[in-house]
This record gives sequence, C-alpha cells and structure tokens, in this order.
Amino acid sequence: MSAKPTSLAAPAPASRMVRGASPSARLVRRTLRNRGAQIGAVILLVLIAASLGAPLLTSHDPNAIDPTATLQPPSREHPMGTDHIGRDVLTRFLYGGQLSLRVGLIAIALGATIGVTLGLIAGYYGGWLDAASSWVTDVLLSFPDILLALAIIAVLGPGIVNAMLAIGIAFIPSFMRLTRGNVLAIREMGYVEAARAIGTPDPQILIKHILPNALRTLLVLLTLGIGSAILAGAALSFLGLGAQPPTPEWGAMLNAGQKFIRQAWWLTLFPGLGIFLTVLAINLIGDALSDAVAGATPAYSNKAT
Amino acid sequence: MYSYLIRRFLTSILVLFGVSVLVFSIIHLVPGDAVTAILGRQKVSAERVIELRAQLGLNDPIPVQYGRYLSNALRGDLGESIRNYVPVSEAIAEQLPSTIALAFSALTIALVLGFILGLAAALNYGSWFDTTIMGVSVSGMSVPTFWLGLLLIMLFSVRLKWFPSISNSNSFSDLFLPALTLALPESAVVARMVRASMLDVLGKEYVTVARAKGLPEHGVVLKHALRNALIPIVTFVGLQMAYLLGGSAIVETMFARQGIGRLAVDAISNRDYPMVQGVVLVVAVIYVVINTFTDITYTFLNPKIRLK
Repeated sequence: MSAKPTSLAAPAPASRMVRGASPSARLVRRTLRNRGAQIGAVILLVLIAASLGAPLLTSHDPNAIDPTATLQPPSREHPMGTDHIGRDVLTRFLYGGQLSLRVGLIAIALGATIGVTLGLIAGYYGGWLDAASSWVTDVLLSFPDILLALAIIAVLGPGIVNAMLAIGIAFIPSFMRLTRGNVLAIREMGYVEAARAIGTPDPQILIKHILPNALRTLLVLLTLGIGSAILAGAALSFLGLGAQPPTPEWGAMLNAGQKFIRQAWWLTLFPGLGIFLTVLAINLIGDALSDAVAGATPAYSNKAT
Repeated sequence: MYSYLIRRFLTSILVLFGVSVLVFSIIHLVPGDAVTAILGRQKVSAERVIELRAQLGLNDPIPVQYGRYLSNALRGDLGESIRNYVPVSEAIAEQLPSTIALAFSALTIALVLGFILGLAAALNYGSWFDTTIMGVSVSGMSVPTFWLGLLLIMLFSVRLKWFPSISNSNSFSDLFLPALTLALPESAVVARMVRASMLDVLGKEYVTVARAKGLPEHGVVLKHALRNALIPIVTFVGLQMAYLLGGSAIVETMFARQGIGRLAVDAISNRDYPMVQGVVLVVAVIYVVINTFTDITYTFLNPKIRLK
C-alpha cells in the first residue's frame, strides 16, 4: 500500500497488469520453458512419488532379513537384488529416498531461515551489528565445504538428526551473505524510503517490502542448496557419521555395499544412482531458475531509474 | 593499492583469530561434558576422569584456556591425541604430504580437462558439441564423489584390474584413481567457468578490433581472449584447492589412503577432540592463507586494481 506512488511511476507494473500474472508465476513459467528444467522436474516428481509411495510399491519391509536370499542379483522378485543379509534393495532404495529428501529439505529450511533472518537484520541496520556478523560469516566461510559440517558433527556426535543440523548450520553463512547483499541495495530504494517515511515499523518493512524483492536470487540458492544438502547428507552417512545402520539411507547403503563391491555391483549402483539423479534434477531446475532470474529485470532495479 | 593490501592482510588476521576461537570452542560446545562424551560407556575410575580433565586443561577459566591454546598453537603445539597419545601436530605433519599430493594431482587433472573442454565448448558455442559438454558438466557437478569413486573402482580395479582399489603411496598407479575421483566433478565446474569467461571476453571490443586487424584466429584466442579470460579463473582455483582439501575426507576414507581427511573422520568417530581441533584448524588456516594469496594475485593480474 505504501509503495503505491512509486509503483505507479514505474513501467514494469503496467505490463504486469496486462499479462495478468504475478511475478513469481512468470518466473516459474519462464523456468519451466527450459528443456533441462523440464527433464529435471519429471525426474524429481517420479523420485518423490516413488519414495512417498514406497509402502504401495513394495510388499517388503526395508529391514526384513532373509538369510536364505543374501547377495542375490536383480531378479523379478528383487528388482534391485538383495544385500548381504538378504534385505530387498529396492525397498531400502525407496525408503532411503524419503530420508535423503527429508535431510535436504530440513537442513536447507533451517539454514535459510536463520541465514535470511540474520542477513535481513545485518543488511538493514548496518553498523557494528553488520560488521560483527560479516566477520562471523567470513570466519565460518573459511572452513571449506564439508569440513564445517564435519566440525559440527564432531561437537554434536554422529547421527542423522545431527547431520541435518550440521548441514543446516553450515549453510547459514551463504544465505546470510546473499541476503545481506540484496538488502543493502534494496534498502536504498524509493519505496522503502516511502514506507519508512510514513512510519511503517521496521519488521513490516523487512518482511513486506524488502524480503519479497530479495526472494528471486534467494530462490536460486535455495534450490541449488537442497541439492548440495542432499549430497552432503549422503556423504556424511557414507563416512559413517550420518544415518546409522540399519536405517535405509542412500549414503549408508553405499557404505555397506562397498565391502561387497567385487561380488555385488547392484549394492553400489542403485543407491548412488538415486543420489545422482535427485541432485541432477535439482541442479537442472536450479540452473534454469538462475537463468530465468538473470533474464528478468530485478524488481528493485527498474524502480531505481 | 598498498592500502588495499594492508587492509586485506588485516582482514585475514581477524578471520584467523575468529577461526582459532571457533576451533577452540569445539570441545566446549559438546552437549553435556566433553570428558563424559570421550569416555562414552567405558567404566573408568574417578581418578581417570580427573586426569583427563587435567590433561585437556578443562579446570581453568575459559579465557585462560583460550590464551594457552592460542600461544601453544602459535608455537606449533596442538596438544596430544587422547586416544594414542601422539602429539597432534606430529600426526598432521605425517599425514599432510599425502593429502597435498592428492589435492595437487586432482587439481592438475581438473584444470587440464576443464580447460580443454571449456575452451572447445566456447569456441564452438551453440553447436551440438557445446550442448553435449554442458550437459555432461551438469551431470559431473551432480555426481556424488563417493559414488563416482566406487564406480571407478568397479571399472578400473575389479573389471580391468589396471589400478589398485587401495591407495597407500604417492606412486602414479596409487594416486590415479583417487585423484580422478576428486578431479572429475571439479573439471565440470572448471569447464563451465572457462566457457562462460571465454564467451564473455570473446564479445569484448578489443577482440573485435584484433579480428578486424586481420590477426589469425588462434592469435586472437590465445593472445587477446584467453589471457583476459584467465583473470576470474585464478580466483576460482584458490577456492578449488580448499574444496579438494575438504573432499579428501571422502576419497581418503574410500581408498583407505593416508591423509588428514581420513585422520579427521577417524578422530570424529573416536571423539578424539584435540585431533579434530588440530585438523580443522590446520585446514582452515591453509584455506585462509590460500584465499589471501589468491586475492593478492588477482590484484596484480587486474590492471584496473593494480594501477590505482
């Protein structure tokens, strides 16, 4: 409401009205026009449907042991074979997918919520608060990649919940830095100034006026981040620091299958394929999204002119 | 420019200070009590608990503990492993060369492969070749290192029997598979960077001018385009080194290879906090130093900053 005078003066909202679609709907449409994103979306939907529908797709129990059918190659009864204690690999694959997706989503939700909040506050208020939090971000970002997650696991102890927490925390600095950068540009915009001038409280300015305009670039990090988080979760489980046996999880399955790499290729092939396809699908969508965001004029720049 | 360099150094020192505080905190952030976590379910005498607390110096006030930690660390003393009583700095010094050999081999493969593919894609922009390279590179970025390594073991060790699946030296045949495992996803990233950077530079006016002068195409590409396209890539190589150091944890564990990555993973499983702290500190310090030097190199390469 407070942004009305400026948005009337800007050219973009006029064309928006003609096309009758919200900017986010247009972004989604532009993303899905990309061939890669289409392939990615199909792969992802199939994987999500398969892992959520696991109880319908398989009659086996993911932890049911069958000593009479160990290390069996793929067959009609066991399409992905069985492992060293006779568990059905397809069943474990499907349930494992549920867990991997959950790890990615929860970790990123955690990292993004905290990171974006801190970034909004640091970027908007500036001063010593900004200086201090930027320093903390620099410090955290000086732990390469998986090392920060490893250090956090060292503190919390191994386990899948701790792995989720560790990955989420490790993502805070990236979200914070990106949000802060965006806020620095947006807070100088006319509509923010206008909102401030009529006495809009700060939290409302941050949530209603600044956050929506920072969302486009955040969306890219959010998407690609889920892929990285799934990879990191599987990596930690592969190292024995995430999901613990007998939990079905793709990284943990690979870890267990590694011992039988000479006899049972299916124990290595399928869980890894699951991780690869999931991350590939997310990266394809993320890339297309990133192109779509770059192609669209950012909502705040056309109001600056 | 000098003021920039001084500022850059000061920032790095501040960051290093933060890193030391964070690494020092690891043992204090353990939920409950670090000593209880270390001993786990072991039944030990009360004397052993007291001894361990004293050994870890946990009885002093926190600032005193930090002061001691920092001054010891600056003198190269990172404490002692609580599992096998080896000095942490000795264990790291013993394992580090193996990780560095791995990281450098991987970086070399990644850069050579990435450059060839990225350059070829950029020069054939829009062709089927370009599309294929870019498609393969998205896949390369999505492939989990640990799965790729297992697939390479299946192909090169189990099927073809060309390379061992266990790597315990720095010989070519022992380094090949682990280095390739780390390098392939990296080369995908390098190829994308080189392609984007080359396409950017090839569209610049000075390249058009060079072409208009009648310079042969290879001269345009090598002398005018590639040199300028290299600038953003330098920054990137520094960051990659860090990634490789981090990624070594997975590859070293998988190939049962010596190195600080595996040292860290084992230490975490054993709750050997001084060892974890030591490895994390060393890797983070290496990373900060590499980053600082990368930024400075960048300054020298970029005339816009250098001549200021």
